[in-house]
Amino acid sequence: MSRIHLFSGGLELANLVVSSGVLYHSWAAVRDLYSEINQNEQQSLSVRYKVSQQPNSTTIAFFTWPACSKDYIIQGGGGEDLVSSSTLKESFPLFEFLCTKTNPQFSINKAALELFASIRDSLPSLKSQIDSKPVIITGNSLGGSVASLFTLWLLEKINLSSTKTRPLCITFGSPLVGDDGLQEATSKYPTWNSCFLHVVSDQDPIPRVLISPHNPIDSIYKPFGTFLLHSELGCACFEDSQSILDLLTATYLEGPENQNPNQVLEFYEALVQHLNHKVICKDTTQLVKRNTKSFEAGIITQLEAIGLVRPQQQQRNNGIDNLITRTERQEKKLVILKRQVFDPSKKLNDIKINMAYLEWYKKHFKDKGIGYYDSYKNSGNLSDLNVVRYKKILTCYWEEMVDEAEKKPQKEGASFRTRWLFAGTNYRRMCEPLDIAEYYNKGLKDYINQGRPKHYKQLEQWLKEIEKPASNPSQLKKQNVASSLTEDSCFWAHVEEARISCELLSSRESSIGEKESSKHNLVEFENYVLSLMKNYAVSPEIFLPRSSFMLWWKEYEEIIRKGIMGAAYYSPLTDLMKSRSYQNYATGGLEIP
Amino acid sequence: MASLNLGENIEIDTELIKEAYSLAVEAHSKSSEKAYNVEESRRSSDPIIIISFSGCWSENGWYDGEPFGVTEINPPKLFPSLRSIGVNENALVNKAFLQRFVYKILGNPDFDREVQKAVEENKQILFTGHSSGGSIANLATIWFLEEYLKPKYNYKISPSSPLCVTFGCPLTGNHIFSHALRRENWARYFIHFVMRYDIVPRILLAPISSIKLEFQKVLKFLNAKSIKLAHASIDNFDASNFFMKVMKNASSVVSHAACNLMGNTNLLLETVSNFIPLSPYKPFGTYVFCTGNGKLVILRNPDAVLQLLFYSSQLCHEEECTDIAQISLQQHFGYENELQESFQMLNEVYLEPLEQLPLSSDSTSSDIATINSALNDLGLSTRARLCLCAAGELEKRKIGNKKSIDLKKPDIEKAMKYLEEDYQLNCGYRDLGCYDAFKLQETAKDFDANVKRLELAGIWDEIIEMLKRYELPDEFEGLGDWVLLGTRYRRLVEPLDIANYYRHLKNEDTGAYMIRGRPKRYRFTQRWREHAEGLPAESSEESCFWAKVEELRIKISSQGFEPIKKEVSLLEDQVQNWINLGVLSRDVLLEKSTFKKWWEDLPREHKLKSCIKDLKVS
Repeated sequence: MSRIHLFSGGLELANLVVSSGVLYHSWAAVRDLYSEINQNEQQSLSVRYKVSQQPNSTTIAFFTWPACSKDYIIQGGGGEDLVSSSTLKESFPLFEFLCTKTNPQFSINKAALELFASIRDSLPSLKSQIDSKPVIITGNSLGGSVASLFTLWLLEKINLSSTKTRPLCITFGSPLVGDDGLQEATSKYPTWNSCFLHVVSDQDPIPRVLISPHNPIDSIYKPFGTFLLHSELGCACFEDSQSILDLLTATYLEGPENQNPNQVLEFYEALVQHLNHKVICKDTTQLVKRNTKSFEAGIITQLEAIGLVRPQQQQRNNGIDNLITRTERQEKKLVILKRQVFDPSKKLNDIKINMAYLEWYKKHFKDKGIGYYDSYKNSGNLSDLNVVRYKKILTCYWEEMVDEAEKKPQKEGASFRTRWLFAGTNYRRMCEPLDIAEYYNKGLKDYINQGRPKHYKQLEQWLKEIEKPASNPSQLKKQNVASSLTEDSCFWAHVEEARISCELLSSRESSIGEKESSKHNLVEFENYVLSLMKNYAVSPEIFLPRSSFMLWWKEYEEIIRKGIMGAAYYSPLTDLMKSRSYQNYATGGLEIP
Repeated sequence: MASLNLGENIEIDTELIKEAYSLAVEAHSKSSEKAYNVEESRRSSDPIIIISFSGCWSENGWYDGEPFGVTEINPPKLFPSLRSIGVNENALVNKAFLQRFVYKILGNPDFDREVQKAVEENKQILFTGHSSGGSIANLATIWFLEEYLKPKYNYKISPSSPLCVTFGCPLTGNHIFSHALRRENWARYFIHFVMRYDIVPRILLAPISSIKLEFQKVLKFLNAKSIKLAHASIDNFDASNFFMKVMKNASSVVSHAACNLMGNTNLLLETVSNFIPLSPYKPFGTYVFCTGNGKLVILRNPDAVLQLLFYSSQLCHEEECTDIAQISLQQHFGYENELQESFQMLNEVYLEPLEQLPLSSDSTSSDIATINSALNDLGLSTRARLCLCAAGELEKRKIGNKKSIDLKKPDIEKAMKYLEEDYQLNCGYRDLGCYDAFKLQETAKDFDANVKRLELAGIWDEIIEMLKRYELPDEFEGLGDWVLLGTRYRRLVEPLDIANYYRHLKNEDTGAYMIRGRPKRYRFTQRWREHAEGLPAESSEESCFWAKVEELRIKISSQGFEPIKKEVSLLEDQVQNWINLGVLSRDVLLEKSTFKKWWEDLPREHKLKSCIKDLKVS
């Protein structure tokens, strides 16, 4: 296999955002909203927003007024304070869905959150204005933070499975919004991350205030989404969060200390105009050497576009070289990681082969009159040893699948699951009996509550969520019952429990209480088996002469004969068993009223 | 006699190209009389018929409908090859050009007659056109290829392959159009000359809504030029606006394509793409870019051509805009002088292999100096060069994928051999057909067959996934050995899949096999065969025989025989036909076969009249 040459597409992506007019369009919406604000009005910080409908899209712009300075964000508005998701859970539970089992916590900037909370009552009406058209959500500075939070909130409310409805959030010069927990939560699901584009000018201090200037990578705040960085030479996109922290710091051209915050608007006005004019002009990269690898060459052109590497610098200094190497390494790592997305379908065919082996094993012992459950329980057979191996491969695969599905946020996890749930159910019905056999072989009790592996429970739960209510079994289902698997994968655990109950009932050492509850359990068990048979939901293999179920029946028959269950005890199941009419079950000829 | 070498063993007499150009331009002024002209060139030793097509200068002759004026080729009677076979998608083509070709050219019975005459006289035909006349020439050439060069037509004399030479021709079809021409190995007959700045080949990258204001004026200007009005001119303001708008849209298309070429992993790309109409057009054939100083740059990778269409006319700085905009319109009629100069020097440069192009403009080492100076003549920056490299890498990766699939052929053969020989023999001993034996799953052989079925499914599913994502070379679905292997595989293994499907009652919760359950690996391979043999769609369903039987069984058991009568007769006709053709094994008639048992249970009066009542096992 030849090596795959990687490319870094940050320049192309940035160019698409500019040439498509998306950037210009969203900035125009912000500018429009700004022009409606009465400049002389002095009041406390508040959020304004405006929805505008275009033929092919909807735009929602957010703006905070009065414009706030760098100092305000650091000191005035609660500064660097974060609010954690556990606090939010009580006061403002809109982002609960972002938490997953592996990433249970995240925090959001307090100032941004308070501004967002102030428009809480308007959220439903805002959402109602979003229709089937794609939507752009935009804002500048803290208005952009509100736009980000609004978009996050929206992620749970709309169906993201179609790209057509995916919102695009474009912020201009916004401070960072959350910590590594939030970054982790959004990156867990790539389409979420794909909704955010943050535009940052190299002259704007605001997006950088929450980054520790000396050690950007250790900042508490972490960026998420894609960043479009701009300099007078051009612009480029970056996606890796560490690179972004690094580059935000490195690109900053310090301006006068106490800038007029309104001036920031002018930066972005100029930035958007500048990019718009330059879009069909050539780049001027001159620093790529002939044998530079494609990925590194891409990174150099990107860094050149954001003003970090300049053609005039005859000798590149070490700092720049390090930055190139670092950025290249980080971005490359991300690309490679994303290329190896977990793709269960690739292995599914291999897994089916393992299942075929188990099916064969099952068949083999059916012919021997014992059933694979009991054969495995009594093991010692050579083919039982092989089965241990197949079972192990299958279990590893499905544990991983279930884990992966659980890590995904609820809605996305669900659509991910339906694709393989059928195979998973088959696996559960085939393999769980073997786990049950192992469990009771160890002399343990109460498998269902104390021993059942988690992934079986999950697989069963998910099936229940999508399954239609059961109807009467069709003729074909009846005829085919011989080749189907028992629907309740815990069937054999019930059998084992019933046998334990029989033992307790026959034993002299059991207390009266134990005997009474055993009787009760046995009656329950009878009803359980009968209802399974009625639905043709249990495999006829349970009636094989040497199966545990038949052993139970012998024990139970003896108990009944002794009158322990009461004089002349009679039930539909005992009748069925005694008359041997269960023999008609395998061919679909047994009708149970 | 000088000739231009285009690589891949294609050489054209330069005098012929010049003659074609002058005829193509002449066609514009004759367009009021005739939409095409036929001339015989006597310059070369073998006589060549040159058919030239005129252009059109009205807005709706370019854009018929928003935003890009494309239409699906449907029904595909005229161009049955212009589609993606497996995924079953027809190509898109410019609607206005298609209609002009269909009504003005094909609608004229003289056209077909003249073409036929040339074929009978064993003369090669060269189709040519300038501007949108080039697009008509493209369609005429494809029509000729479909009509005269597809293997299903057996003419007494095999016609010589046609040539299509265009000058400043707008894009004509979408990516499937381009894909299909490469698959049929037809792309090599098309040679497109493009001047570095000529705006016309780029126009269709912009939606009509964005250029509506200026397009009328531009067309008026081009029309005046085409009939050689000496003082034709266009306002600087309109020219610049037009140029800027076309280029900005071209830039979006090209950046979007480049992200994909580069294997972009950032999904922001998809999100942004929702907000913009992206032109579906894609180049095909061999492109010859004229640099403006006598060099000819040749390339044929469609992805790379698309990139080059944008990058070669990028501006160095904004101030150039007015000048370049004027040049971009003037150059549309500048081919004669340029070709004259180029053919004297015959300085052609092939941009291959793309993935090894020098990334920096000052690469001076001798081995790449020629290529580098050609890239500089086209004004290609590092960014542009990276995009071309990415296009080359992608093609290389596709070829690599094909190689890795070819390596699996022995595995496929081995598993199929087991099923074809051992398993079938074994089933024979049990007086069963493979379908019924497999459905019963009684012996170890059945189990082995099941494992082989699953192994094969794994390999074929991987191939299908790659095809769906266009990750295999365009030629793949036309390769005879794979079409044959796919057909053998489908006939052999699909019955086992059907047996598995009905054995596990998947029809109960998923639905009928044919509608919901049939794997893509069989749908695709069936279409391969139908295309390769020129059969009508869905005519080759013999491998689904058992699914049809099972569905009829279920229907009859729930609805009774009468309502299903027609379907039963249809299946019986098909069975007889398939058995006669030898594509369905006679073991379906064995006593214990599901089919035979089912058929025996049909009403007696029906069976007496049935066409298969006399069919025997051997």
